[in-house]
Amino acid sequence: MIQLAYPLALLSLLAIPLLLALHLLRPRRRRVVLSTITLWQAALRDREGGHGFRRLLRNLSLLLLLAAALVLGLALAGPQWLTSAADQGDAVLVLDVSASMQTRSGVRGTRFDQALAEAASIVDALPRNGRMLVMTSGRKALLRSGFETDRGALRRVLSQLRPGDEAGRPREALALALSLVRGRNDARIYFLTDGAFEPDVDPGSPDVVFRVVGAPARNVAITRFDLRQERADEDRFQVLLGVRNYTDSPMTVPASASLDGRELFTRTLEVAPKSEQTLVLPFAGRALGQAIARIDLNDDLAADNQAFATVNVRESLRVLLLSRGNFYLESVLQALPNTEVVMREGPGGEDIAALARSHDVVVFDGIAAPELPPGNFLLVDTVAPGLPFSDAGRVTQPSILGSGPSALMRNVDLAAVRIDEARRVQLDPRTSALQRLFWSAQTDLALALIDESRKLVYLGFDLAESNLPRQAAFPLFVSQTLEWLRPRGEERLANHVEAGSTLSLYVPVGEAQVTVHGPSGQEQTLQAKDGAAFFDATAAAGIYRYGAGDTTRLFAVSLADARESDVNRRWTPGERRQQAEAARSGAQSLLPLWPYLLMAAMVLLVLEWCVWAGSRSNA
Amino acid sequence: MAMTPRTASHAARELVFDDAFLHKLEQLELLARKIFRGLLRGERTTSRRGRGLEFSDFRHYWPGDDFRHIDWNIFSRLDQLFLKLHASEEDVTLHLIVDTSASMAFGEPSKFDHARRLAAALGYIALNNLDRVAVSAFAETLGAGFPPTKSRQHLARLLAYLANLTCAGSTRFGTALRDFAARTRSPGLVILISDLLGLGQTQDGIEALRHGGHDVVVIQLLAEAEIEPPLDGALQLVDAETGEELEVTVDLELRRRYQQRLEQQLQEIESFCRRRGVEYFRASTAIGFEDVVLKYLRQGTHLR
Repeated sequence: MIQLAYPLALLSLLAIPLLLALHLLRPRRRRVVLSTITLWQAALRDREGGHGFRRLLRNLSLLLLLAAALVLGLALAGPQWLTSAADQGDAVLVLDVSASMQTRSGVRGTRFDQALAEAASIVDALPRNGRMLVMTSGRKALLRSGFETDRGALRRVLSQLRPGDEAGRPREALALALSLVRGRNDARIYFLTDGAFEPDVDPGSPDVVFRVVGAPARNVAITRFDLRQERADEDRFQVLLGVRNYTDSPMTVPASASLDGRELFTRTLEVAPKSEQTLVLPFAGRALGQAIARIDLNDDLAADNQAFATVNVRESLRVLLLSRGNFYLESVLQALPNTEVVMREGPGGEDIAALARSHDVVVFDGIAAPELPPGNFLLVDTVAPGLPFSDAGRVTQPSILGSGPSALMRNVDLAAVRIDEARRVQLDPRTSALQRLFWSAQTDLALALIDESRKLVYLGFDLAESNLPRQAAFPLFVSQTLEWLRPRGEERLANHVEAGSTLSLYVPVGEAQVTVHGPSGQEQTLQAKDGAAFFDATAAAGIYRYGAGDTTRLFAVSLADARESDVNRRWTPGERRQQAEAARSGAQSLLPLWPYLLMAAMVLLVLEWCVWAGSRSNA
Repeated sequence: MAMTPRTASHAARELVFDDAFLHKLEQLELLARKIFRGLLRGERTTSRRGRGLEFSDFRHYWPGDDFRHIDWNIFSRLDQLFLKLHASEEDVTLHLIVDTSASMAFGEPSKFDHARRLAAALGYIALNNLDRVAVSAFAETLGAGFPPTKSRQHLARLLAYLANLTCAGSTRFGTALRDFAARTRSPGLVILISDLLGLGQTQDGIEALRHGGHDVVVIQLLAEAEIEPPLDGALQLVDAETGEELEVTVDLELRRRYQQRLEQQLQEIESFCRRRGVEYFRASTAIGFEDVVLKYLRQGTHLR
């Protein structure tokens, strides 16, 4: 069926009578009456191969012209071909690779196996010129191919897919898929899933076709596992274990945990239906190494029957304070937990580069700083050479006018801060590595600099010449400054993340890359930037080890997601979905026809010209 | 044929021949080549064997022949029966059939005028030799004709009849000539004057005349512009008989092909006439009809 986008454009068809009139009004040939034209007709036939052909040519020229005008008029009207959307167009295949897809289904296979079979059938049913894009829905939505017409390539992509140990976020995947087909009526999204997610995931779009695989399943899962060092006693720690029964009957669950091969406990838990039981057990000794918790149960999903945690060696932050004496700074540094402060009046004869390597942060407080080597530095009331800002004198009683949106200034309230005197600095306008932390009308009072090998925070006044140390903002500012200069977030006591998440790995100063070893031994090398490297290949649960330089650290990846372990289907095609499906089944796509008509008009005009030229040469 | 408002006398004046031409006509003798069954004995000796005095030929006797014509002298010598044949002196009816279709109006002078003058001259000759003369005109159908007339006194009427003919319509040779053959009770010498450019069946028409027992002479008149068409450039040609139009750009090649076609058609007609024993003459209007009568027709067998 054809629709017209601009029906008024059909008025252009009025040009056809005009063409006819022009044709009729064209200059006439001289009229000669003969006794008979039979012989002339015969002569023309002899020369042109037929009088009929010549007349046809003459009429053909007009007919072609009229046809071209007709086609052009129709093209202007914007005709669109209404066709079933299912018969054509591109498809996006979204395959659920969340942990619940590992659930046993059928005799030997899993839900993912069923989904793969379903995906293969969809690929086989792809229209001849149809294209398909394959993407996966795990914790993150990942594109696994471009829009491909090669079915073999699509099958190869599918064959390489495996379900992960991660919790799924299908809403994000569907949002991404919908964005890929937005504005295209002929596209369709196939979401192959087990439906183990909340009903509100369904975007309600008629473009999305849900293909749900899997049958109801029995599952008991470890939903929480953590080790916590007791603050009061570093030789004691606690183990937290949460086990949830998703079945409709009470379950007896043998649970155990070990730390670096040492068994921590073995317990049998009686877990009521649809409920969770939590264990918190104290242990003596230091929590250090790899911890694994297991439940020994033959349920349908094995991925959540174990959980991992790691405890790395606790390292103190080593701070070198070069100062002639600063009560406030010394006090706040020493008050910070897990921080070792070494105080000196100056670098003396030691190489500043060596000092920077042997300390996590070097603080210059009111003393002249040399050109700074690679490392982390805090400059208080001093400016080092070679920096993108330079000393330009002093200002008195600068008022703080504003502060920048930096992590260093988070929750730092400077409203009551008064400064008697400060350095005036002049910024190099060419640099983009500087962050303005806070400033007055006359000068910047605090800056942060990060370049390829250095991190630096500059505080442009003597703490004794201001009331900042007596404000709550001071320890917060110093703490956040040290955390920014030398991040230690990855060194938490229990260092574990959810499967599929992205982890920021700390890389010591001077190291350019970090190597990560996964639980199954696979190795991946990452390039470090700004003292960190981002690692996102965490789909598999287990213990990961990464090293940079001579340091090696661990982190654990676990499913530990109560929602993901609820493997029974929670999404059902509600009324909204049924309406969407009904709309989709009747949905039609509009194929614009004007390009084809324009092309046809051009062909007709070319043909008309050929016929006209031919008739002119023949006549 | 329809009569026009033109007066017969005016038309006749146009057809008046000068004295020299009339004198030359009187020298001609119209001769029928075939045997005619004349109503009255005339001044010419025909080739018909009959009751005339002049011996013509012998032939074998066939049962039913008149015994009175058996040559008993030969029988006595050869013991075979032969009939002695005598030529019969009879008058001849000259049927002049003039094509009055629209195509005859073509040419300068027109073929139609040429045909009328030719018919008048031939009629004059026949009447001058005390032969019967009838004139018929045809286009799509056979029109009202000039009845057989023998007396020289009817020459003025003949000329008036010819003067009042007009040309219009298309030519239907087959229909018109078959109709003529059916209507005519006395076979004679038929002289068909036409351009033979009608819608076909020319040969059927001539064949119908022959089957009617007529001795047929065909005079095909062509305008000089038909033989050497002075056409050039982009033209819209209109058929005078059918009104059909043809857009054409005439160039040297097309003229050459036209002439080839014309020559082919003329050859076909001439060849047909020759095969059928029909006298065929071709004449251009560029040649004066006097020359046609005095020179060309004398080359045939019917004028001497």
